Amino acid sequence: MFVVLLAFVAAATWYLSSHRMTRGQQTIAVYYTKLDGTSLGDVRISLRPPQPGESAAEHLHNAVLYAAVQAVAGPPNGINAIRFPPGTRVLGVSVQDSIATVDLSKDVERQAGGSFGENGEFKALVYTVTGIEGIDALQVTVEGARVQTLPGGHLELDQPLRRSDW
Amino acid sequence: MNWINRFVVRIGSVAALAALALPGLLAGPALADAPLTLLYQGEPIRFSHVSSSDGGPAIGVNDPGLTALLRATGALLTWKPGERYVLITTSVPTVVSFAIGDRRYDVGPISLQAGFAPYERGGEVFLPLNELLRALDLALRQDGAVKILQPQLDSLEVRQESDSVTLLAHAGAPLNPRVVVQTPSTVTYAFDGVGTTLSGTRQVDAGGVRSIAIANSGTVRDPTTLVTVALEAGTVAQTPRNGSERDVVLAFAGNPAGPQAVARESPPSLGASANGTPSAPPANAAPENAPTANAAALVTAVSTQPSGAGIAVTISVTGDATYEWHRLRDPDNRFWVDIRNAQLQGPPVDENLTGPLVSMRVRQDDPATVRIALSLDGPKSIAITPSATGLLVEVGSDEVADGPRSGSGSIGSVLSASEQSAPAVTPAPLENAPGDVGVSTGTDWKFGPHGGYVATNPRLIVIDPGHGGSDRGTIHGGVAEADLTLDMAKRLRDILVARGWQVKLTHDTDVDVYAPNDSPHDELQARVDVANQAGARLFISIHANAYINSGPYGTTLYVSKPDDEAFARIVETHLDGDGTKDDGIVKSHMYVTYHTRMPAVLIETAFLSNPGDYALLTSAAWRQKVAQEIADGIAEYAHEYPVPNAPAQ
Repeated sequence: MFVVLLAFVAAATWYLSSHRMTRGQQTIAVYYTKLDGTSLGDVRISLRPPQPGESAAEHLHNAVLYAAVQAVAGPPNGINAIRFPPGTRVLGVSVQDSIATVDLSKDVERQAGGSFGENGEFKALVYTVTGIEGIDALQVTVEGARVQTLPGGHLELDQPLRRSDW
Repeated sequence: MNWINRFVVRIGSVAALAALALPGLLAGPALADAPLTLLYQGEPIRFSHVSSSDGGPAIGVNDPGLTALLRATGALLTWKPGERYVLITTSVPTVVSFAIGDRRYDVGPISLQAGFAPYERGGEVFLPLNELLRALDLALRQDGAVKILQPQLDSLEVRQESDSVTLLAHAGAPLNPRVVVQTPSTVTYAFDGVGTTLSGTRQVDAGGVRSIAIANSGTVRDPTTLVTVALEAGTVAQTPRNGSERDVVLAFAGNPAGPQAVARESPPSLGASANGTPSAPPANAAPENAPTANAAALVTAVSTQPSGAGIAVTISVTGDATYEWHRLRDPDNRFWVDIRNAQLQGPPVDENLTGPLVSMRVRQDDPATVRIALSLDGPKSIAITPSATGLLVEVGSDEVADGPRSGSGSIGSVLSASEQSAPAVTPAPLENAPGDVGVSTGTDWKFGPHGGYVATNPRLIVIDPGHGGSDRGTIHGGVAEADLTLDMAKRLRDILVARGWQVKLTHDTDVDVYAPNDSPHDELQARVDVANQAGARLFISIHANAYINSGPYGTTLYVSKPDDEAFARIVETHLDGDGTKDDGIVKSHMYVTYHTRMPAVLIETAFLSNPGDYALLTSAAWRQKVAQEIADGIAEYAHEYPVPNAPAQ
C-alpha cells in the first residue's frame, strides 16, 4: 500500500512538474512590439478558468492557443505595432514539456522583406506565449512543417525561441 | 502617437451592445434546425448549420454561411475538431473567445455572459448566434419579411492631448465619413452604411470639443449614422482619415489645454457599460510587466561642475545598474558611458561647453540603456568613480599619451567592495583582464571582449551582401535590396583592402551562394560557412530594411552572440549620424549572426520602404559614406581588441 502511495505521489509530482501552469493564473500579457522595432507594450487579457472535465494539460494547451491567437492578431488598430502579415492565423498549437509549438498559416511568409517585421513579430509572439506559466520556449511551424527560416528571411526558426534570444 | 494627456472614453462597446437585447428575431422554435438567410451588405448569406436551444439560436462553426460572413467582415476563425475553444479574430482586431460548456465569452479583455453555452453536436461546435453577431459589430434588423445584418458603428474612442482631441470610430463595415454640415462651432459627419445603438449626446468639454451627438438616420437597409461634434471657438476639424478600412480618425486641433482639461482626473463616461462590465483599459497603458521596465534604475540628473582645472560630470542614479565606458583614440577624443538597466528621467541633453569638455549628450540609447557621451578637446585624463548614488566622471586638463580604453562596473547596492574602496581606478581593457578563459589552440591571444573564438585567419573579414541571386530581398520603386547590398559590400571591400585587410565576400556577383533557387536555409548556411570555414576575424552582413508601411526608418544593427555586441557598439558609433535615425542595436535570433562563430553584425542600413531612407539608399555617395563608416568601425574595433598578426590600423 505504501509503495502504491509513493508511486502515486511520484506520478503526481511528475505530472505537476511537467504541466506547470498554475491553475490560478488568471491573466496574461499579450505583447506587441512597438514601431521602434525593439520595445514591447502589452495588453492584459484574462484567462478562462479550467472547465469541468478539462485536464491541466488541456488547460495549458488552451491557454497557449488563446495567447498565440491574441499575439498574432496584435493589438487594436489604434495602437502602432509591428504586425504579422495580413491573414496570418494560428492553425493549431501543441505543448511538449515546456515547449509550445505554434503552427502558423502560410500567410506568415508574406513578409515585407526586412529584419524589422520578422524580428518584431516573433519577439512579441515568444514573449506572449512564454508568459504562460509552464512554457519556456516556442517552436514555430508553418502549415505543419518546421521551417529553418522564412523565404528571404533573416530569423532562424528551426529551433525553439526563448525570451533570451532577444 | 504620444498621448500627453490621454483618456479613453468608449461610447458603447461590445459590452454595451450586449446589454441591449436584440429583438427576438431569431428566438423561438420556428428556427430550429431550419436554414436561415440573412442579408448582409445587399447580399444574401444562407446559414444551414442552425440549431436552437432554450437561450436562442446557435450556428455551427462549419456552416458555409458563417464562413462567408466571417470572410466578408474580415474575421478569422480558429478551431479544430476536438478543441474546446473557438476563437474568432475580428477586423479590429479583437479576439472573441468561446468555449464549449461555458457561458462566458470574451471579447478582447472584456468577459461577458452568453444566453447559453456553446455545445458540441455531431463533432461540430455550435455558438450562440446573437452574441457572435454582436462581437462582429453586426445587429439583426427586420425589414418586412427580410432579415438584415446591419453593420454597427460600435465605438467611438475619445482621446485627448494637451491641445487636441482625436475620435477613433470603428464599425462592422468599411467607413467613409462625409462632412455634411460644417460651421465654426459644429461639424457633422455622416457614416453611410452603418447604424448604431449609441444614439444620444455626451459632454466632453476638453481639448476644444464641447460635446458629441450621435443619431441614426437613413433606413434599415441603407442606414446612416450622424456624428455631430460641437466645438469651442478656434477649434479646427481636420480631414477624416482611415486608420484601417473599418477605422476612422477624426482629429480636432483646439485651444491649448486649459487647466481644467489637464486637471480632469475622471473623464466623463460617455458610454459606460450598461451591464456594469468594466471597460477595456487604455490599450497603450504602461505595461504591467514590460520586460524592459523591471526594476530599472533611474538616471535622475547629469550635471557638470568645475573641478580644479578640469570638469566633473555627476551622473545621479537611483537604483541598481551597471555601467560600461569606452573612449576613442586621439585625435577622435570621444568618451561615452552606458548605464545599463536604466531609464532616463527627463528630456535628453545636448549641451555645448568650453574647456576640456567640448560637448555632452545624454539620451536613452535603447529601452534599457542611458548613454552619456562626452566630446573632449584632447586626450584628457579621465577618472571614473562609481558610488551608491551614481557615477562621477572627472575630466582633467592634463593629457595622457595612452590609457585604458574601456571598462565597466556597478552602481547602487550592487557596488562591489573594491569599487567602493578604490575610486578613480579605471578598469583595464577586458582583453587583458586576468582570468579570461584560455582557448584550445594553445595560443595566448584573445579575441573580443568575451573570448572563446580564435580567428585562424585574423587578417580576414567576411562581408555578406544580403540576399542576391534568386532572392532579391525587398523591392521598392524598382530598386532591389540585393543590388544595393552588393554595391555597399564592394565599396566596403575596396576600403578595407586598401587598409591592408584580406576581404572575402560571400558572393561578389549577383548569384545564390549555395545553388540556384536554393532554400532560404541552405543559402544562409552557405554564407555562414564561408566565414566559419575561413576562420575569419569578423563577419558583416549588409542589408536594407523594409516594412509594410513607410513609417519606420533608420539604421539597426542586429546581433545574437555576446561577442557580437562590442563589435556592433563600435560600428554603431561610426554609423550614428549617417543621415538617418540610429535605431540602435537589437539582439535577435538572426541566422547569420547566430551561427557565425566570430563577432558578427547584421546591419540594416536604412528602410527602402521609407521615402527619406529610400533617397539615401539610392544615393551612391551615401552608400560610399556608409561603407566608409563601417570600415572605420572595424578599424576602431581592431584597435580596441587587438589580435597578433592582424594588420596595423
